[in-house]
Amino acid sequence: MNTDTQLTDWRELALQFERQINQTVIGLQPAVRNIILAVFARGHVLLEGNVGVGKTTLLRAVAQGLGGDYQRIEGTIDLMPADLIYYTYLNDQGRPCVDPGPLLKHGNTLATFFFNEINRARPQVHALLLRAMAERSINAFNRDYHFPHIQVFADRNRVEKEETFELPAAAKDRFMMEINIDMPSADTVLDELMFNPRFHDTDQLIAGVTNSGIYYRLNELAQTLQQRIQTSPKLHAYALSLWKATHQPQQYGVQLTDVEMPQLLMAGASPRGMSYLIRAAKTRAWLERRDHVLPEDLQAIFPVCMTHRLFLNPMVAYRKEQLLPELIKGILNQVAAP
Amino acid sequence: MRIVLILVLSLLGCSGSIDEPVSYFNVETPRPFGYVIGDEIPQRIVIETRSGISLQPGSLPAKGQINRWLNLNQVTVKQSGRRYQIDLRYQVFYAPLAVKSLTLPGFTVQFSQGEKSIGQSVPAWTFTLSPLRELVARQTEQGEYMRPDSPPSLLANTQTLYGLAASLSVAALIAAYLSYLYGCFPDRLRRTLFKQALRKLAGLSKSDMEQALTLVHRVLNSLNGQPLFHNRLSQFYRRNPQYLQVSSRLDWFFNYSNRYFFSDGMIVVTQDLQQLKDLCEQCRKIERGSQ
Repeated sequence: MNTDTQLTDWRELALQFERQINQTVIGLQPAVRNIILAVFARGHVLLEGNVGVGKTTLLRAVAQGLGGDYQRIEGTIDLMPADLIYYTYLNDQGRPCVDPGPLLKHGNTLATFFFNEINRARPQVHALLLRAMAERSINAFNRDYHFPHIQVFADRNRVEKEETFELPAAAKDRFMMEINIDMPSADTVLDELMFNPRFHDTDQLIAGVTNSGIYYRLNELAQTLQQRIQTSPKLHAYALSLWKATHQPQQYGVQLTDVEMPQLLMAGASPRGMSYLIRAAKTRAWLERRDHVLPEDLQAIFPVCMTHRLFLNPMVAYRKEQLLPELIKGILNQVAAP
Repeated sequence: MRIVLILVLSLLGCSGSIDEPVSYFNVETPRPFGYVIGDEIPQRIVIETRSGISLQPGSLPAKGQINRWLNLNQVTVKQSGRRYQIDLRYQVFYAPLAVKSLTLPGFTVQFSQGEKSIGQSVPAWTFTLSPLRELVARQTEQGEYMRPDSPPSLLANTQTLYGLAASLSVAALIAAYLSYLYGCFPDRLRRTLFKQALRKLAGLSKSDMEQALTLVHRVLNSLNGQPLFHNRLSQFYRRNPQYLQVSSRLDWFFNYSNRYFFSDGMIVVTQDLQQLKDLCEQCRKIERGSQ
């Protein structure tokens, strides 16, 4: 089977997977599409949204659909890094035992690692995750453990700020996307969510998602995909302009209200962030049945890949919620291609 | 006895002056000669009275015609304490044939003290009025004898006119610049976008396809006010609905440009450039408003 046919077959699988998730978690099509992109581009995902809008359900459905070994941990203020690596208990004979914790339990077949309420965990836990996410390995019991297939899904709610720890910039940068989950707005969807008993029992709903068993082949697929999808010099120039615009938006004519533009940003997008952007853009081009990346691919994922990587000057940081989306929109509206 | 007599006599001497109701009276008039028809003659009457005495304004002559040739134009009374200053302004309309003596009529100014009325007469005033010209108007070599004054020569105002013109043009320039800043002329500028593009396209050949496509992209970007991409065409049509009629051509353009710039193995044929020119022709018609 040649590579192109293989990619076509995979695409059908991916689209079918997306349809299935959309049937399970309704009204969140854009978020589902972004998660699919992140999964096939092998990037970690951070979900942010209000309470009860379906963040956890969505991630569980995706994990169930992908297959692979799944682990989940809830972020709490007293969670320590050791809790992820091992746990100790007394066995039936009353002898103390040490067993691998959630991260190590499945060894190198650990697939989806779901960190619920990540901002409730302390910075020490974030630090452990840094390495696990970036290098896909951790050191425990005097040796390195590798997780070639690990994909971290994390979520946090934006309502509460008490007893939470803001994710450090380095941890945020390791997530490919930060996806905002908003409540569905269509009345029919809301009606369905309220009255259809199918959505009342989450466990049953998730159990209905077919395990596609594709998970452990994703790395290979992603590699092929990244090699096959082409990017032209003009697209390189466009991506470069976008990147520069995240550092000096004023040079591209981006102007925000009541802001001194040269003092707006403390840091723009990182090289890792841009490489994630291109990986996700290639995956989108593939899902859109193309063998080359277009500017619209970059534009479609630019907000989810970039918003959490731009750090505003503390002077204007209190207006973050308003300024960042405006800045992203301004950049996309001002940078031309070709 | 003699002392008493002296006292009574001296008191009698004082009593007269104390009883006078008007302590000061004067009529100030100008020269009594050299007036001609139409001249105004001012007359000022200054009166000082004892306290408790007030002027009756009704006793003054009324403004308006006094007699056939005399008019009273203005009557002003100024009072400061017990002092009254009455200003009268007469105008004569008598046309004498020779120098003639005329008289401003006298009148009596009335004052009241409680229920008592006191009069102070203002005497008549005589003056002479002269004719404007001789009895028989004569003809002279210099033209009409009875003629108006020669008109005064006008002041030089060329400098002021130049100054006005200069400041008006500066004001107009500033107004134009301001309206440009406020975006009042974009339509005018945008109405020639495709005209310029067509002119530049005419000089390009098949091998300059990249340049040609970039040119059309730039024009569309300027028309849109921001970069225009294929997926934002619907917003573009909402702002510029007249371009909906070339939507299929614009779709072709964006697909073609995407293939040309972002994918490999694109072979350019001459028809493509022609098609691009056709698109610009159509858009030019739309921007001129002829379609």
